[in-house]
Amino acid sequence: MEAEEFLLVRDMFRSFATRFRASSADVKPATRAAAQEALGELGLGELRRTSPPAATVQECALLAEEHGKQPLTTSLIGTALLAPELLRLLGDDAPDEVPPVHGTTPTIALARDLRFPDFPRSHPGELVAWDCEGADGALCVTSDGSVTGVGLGPPSPSADLLRGIRSVPPGSPSHALGRLDPAALRHWQAYALVIVSSELVGAAASFVRQSVEYARDRRQYGREIGSFQAVQHLLADATVLVEACTSATRYAAWCLDNEPPGTALKAARVAKAEVNDSALEVVRTGMQVFGGIAQTWEHDAHLYLRKVLTGAMTLATTADLLTTLAEPEAVR
Amino acid sequence: MTDTPLDFGDPADLDQLRGRFRAWLADHPLPQRQPDEPVPVFLRRWHRLLHSGGWVGLDVPRQYGGQGLTALHQVAISDELGACRAPGIPRIGYLAHALLEFGSEEQRGRLLPRMLAGEDVWCQGFSEPGAGSDLAGMTTFAERHEGHYTVRGQKLWTSYAQYSGLCLLLARTDRSLPPHKSISAFILPLDRPGVTVRPLRAANGDDEFCELFLDDVRIEDAERIGAEGDGWPLAMTTVSYERNALDTGHISTYGLLVERLRRSAHDRRGELPDGLLSEIGRCVVDYEVLVAHARRRTAERRGGQVAGPESSVDKLLMTRTEQRLYETALKVFPEEVFGEGGGLFGDYLYSRAASVYGGTSQIQRNIIAKRILRLPSGG
Repeated sequence: MEAEEFLLVRDMFRSFATRFRASSADVKPATRAAAQEALGELGLGELRRTSPPAATVQECALLAEEHGKQPLTTSLIGTALLAPELLRLLGDDAPDEVPPVHGTTPTIALARDLRFPDFPRSHPGELVAWDCEGADGALCVTSDGSVTGVGLGPPSPSADLLRGIRSVPPGSPSHALGRLDPAALRHWQAYALVIVSSELVGAAASFVRQSVEYARDRRQYGREIGSFQAVQHLLADATVLVEACTSATRYAAWCLDNEPPGTALKAARVAKAEVNDSALEVVRTGMQVFGGIAQTWEHDAHLYLRKVLTGAMTLATTADLLTTLAEPEAVR
Repeated sequence: MTDTPLDFGDPADLDQLRGRFRAWLADHPLPQRQPDEPVPVFLRRWHRLLHSGGWVGLDVPRQYGGQGLTALHQVAISDELGACRAPGIPRIGYLAHALLEFGSEEQRGRLLPRMLAGEDVWCQGFSEPGAGSDLAGMTTFAERHEGHYTVRGQKLWTSYAQYSGLCLLLARTDRSLPPHKSISAFILPLDRPGVTVRPLRAANGDDEFCELFLDDVRIEDAERIGAEGDGWPLAMTTVSYERNALDTGHISTYGLLVERLRRSAHDRRGELPDGLLSEIGRCVVDYEVLVAHARRRTAERRGGQVAGPESSVDKLLMTRTEQRLYETALKVFPEEVFGEGGGLFGDYLYSRAASVYGGTSQIQRNIIAKRILRLPSGG
């Protein structure tokens, strides 16, 4: 996109996000549906659907950051950014004749613990469809690059109250869609890691900003709590971590646009490893600054904590990534 | 912070530059350090050799003896040197920036080419026994006379002063004004009467740091940099560049050690405890994040941003990387602690200073809180 066009899309998305941000943890299904419909009208699902794509990965990653900044129930990540990229990567393999079981607006399916599905390398586990608001099917990529369309079962409870998760009924019809070659598979994994990480970076950055504003206003002992050095240093450390996460994810996104998939995958793993630990640390710090109010159901804090905590387990955990990154590329 | 797409890529001519540098290196074998030759003396020979090939001050404008390129070009040369285990580029970038921004045209034209060529070796006379991180608390005083000053006081942590010819000196020039308005900067030749340099042995055994005693030292008006009172903004510019990983050239050194750890993880597969493997992974992450961060800063600087308080973020990230890296390296190579030991243990001890020099980590947090987050001042 041209620079001006991107700013236009971003600002349009920002007004959407401000308008539809969840005001509490109890969002009515009708409100969720209305928000998803409004998101659909922005047409962001087209950004990565065509070849060449209409938007760069870096631009999509910045939109994912924006989505993370507000407590939103909408599925931007799964249905608008991830699944369309997968269909684009399948290219001519993507089905267009038979009505696919994955529906017209698919999201992606992950292993039951939300990590990348590892079979056929290991036993097929139970799948879940991730980020399901407005989705009518899901796409599953296994570790050999096979892509399968699967149907959706009933909602599955999750700690993240904003994000819809649904089970994939075992034995339900599935439809083989094609296979990603090794380079496309690496690209897919890197892209998914970067987009998911970016949303978490947005959440962490936004939550620090909110806690800084709170520290400027909230008075105790006759002074603003932000004037106490103990509080200042907490927020300074959180700021450093947000900057580290931001640099790592944006660089990884840039790599996907400009470097070979192997380089991009390493950068994406680095970014996810940094974000898994640091975004969580940042949210914990922000909650400490907010104090008692952040421990209540009414306050947004737990929505951010839930999103970041489950996000840190999604696709790849820190334990997965650190052991992978500890060894030189050549042996993997 | 920018929230629009950035170009993290290398400038188009960078590969060419790297190629030319490799060809030059092939024709110019690294000098060998003589037995008993002090490191700074050896480094000066190296500095002059690099300069003779045009590889010093790439980001300094041409009229002052540089190449008029960017910091990224200079970093690429550092990388190349790191890859062949050669000593790095002389760390003069932050001094050059101070002169570029605050020096007179005459000073820039006379001093910068000699600094880049290694003809003049500079040191930095900022900290004092009573004014380390609290730099504004300095008491060294320059008393004004007709056409000159007399300076009295003491400086500390002046790296390699015993091998330097010139010192970028800060002193108070007015006792009635607040510190931020009354500190001035001077060029002090260290052979002036009244100057005494005394090396101070550091925990790692090196005598890098020095004390500098100034007893009624005469400094001419023409040796002042900028106007009276410009010393504080000059110091802030200098430390901003000094705190930035881009300008200090540490990154390639970290990269070499990270690769050594990864190779060891591979060679000793199944032998290293899983916990240690994860710690190595964490060092890889720290290092790669720092590289990405430096690239982002470069992209921002190319977009016109100058180094400012955000360099405190850079310094804390650099400290995190360096301290965790050497801590882990000692666990992976315990023979460095218990055996004869090579340089690794010395480097580990030096890494402990990372959270102190250039302003302590606590000072960096204060700067972030006040100047980036704009939190209210304490009572």
